[in-house]
Amino acid sequence: MTYVVTDLCIKCKYMDCVEVCPVDCFYEGANMLVIHPDECIDCGVCEPECPAKAILPDADLQAEPWLDLNKRFAEVWPNITLKGQPPADADAYRDESGKFEKYFSAEPGGEPGDPGPKAEAGAIVQGR
Amino acid sequence: MSQPADPSAPGRPLRHPVHEDVDEAMVRRVVLAFYARVRADPTLGPIFDAEIQDGWDHHLAKMCDFWSSVMLMTGRYKGKPMVAHLRLKDVRPDHFEQWLTLFRETARAECPRHIAQMFIDRAERIAESLQLGMFFRTHAGQAGAFRPPRSEAS
Repeated sequence: MTYVVTDLCIKCKYMDCVEVCPVDCFYEGANMLVIHPDECIDCGVCEPECPAKAILPDADLQAEPWLDLNKRFAEVWPNITLKGQPPADADAYRDESGKFEKYFSAEPGGEPGDPGPKAEAGAIVQGR
Repeated sequence: MSQPADPSAPGRPLRHPVHEDVDEAMVRRVVLAFYARVRADPTLGPIFDAEIQDGWDHHLAKMCDFWSSVMLMTGRYKGKPMVAHLRLKDVRPDHFEQWLTLFRETARAECPRHIAQMFIDRAERIAESLQLGMFFRTHAGQAGAFRPPRSEAS
């Protein structure tokens, strides 16, 4: 079992989850994080830490559409183990709906100049 | 006792322990009492001793950090427990069940009832995840439908 990052993370990316996760199972895209479902131990520490309420257990119906996205991009985005600087305008996107369709980026996150492995965004998640 | 706010990080939400009645002393008491039971257990004791050998002090400190991270959100443990467990080729599902039995007994002996259940809930979820990884995941990363029994929430 695993926890799942939903599209509520997109463009918010506060990264508080990264600091508390005991097993470093978060992976960083350009504007959201995902959880590697094979590394998450289901401890639940991250869920209440997320200011955007973007993290849910996979048994939650709201999480299910995002599980494949987490699994796929955890394989190609870089592992993130330290909290970085959240976007300056993170709070402005906090309660917005439909963020996947509007803003999702398949680009990896991390340091500029270190592009890491590339991934295609197509055919990941179609709505919730 | 609640964790104080981190003054070096303005604007970040307060980290709350799973319950205000949990503190580091309780975490440490549970961990030490639990591993004392594990080491005395005729089945689990030899398995742990073979793996940990003379590194028990280090392991206990690590487990205190782990449970502090899980119950108090301190982020003190950082590790790869799934990888560590995948190496253990002789460990079987009934070993996990015995581990959980001892953990439930310890938590109920060392903590108030409502806190014991919080330890137990998390231990059961973590044990289930480790077992899914160890016994029921194919190379394609697909988990089977196995769900180990959970204790009654009493």
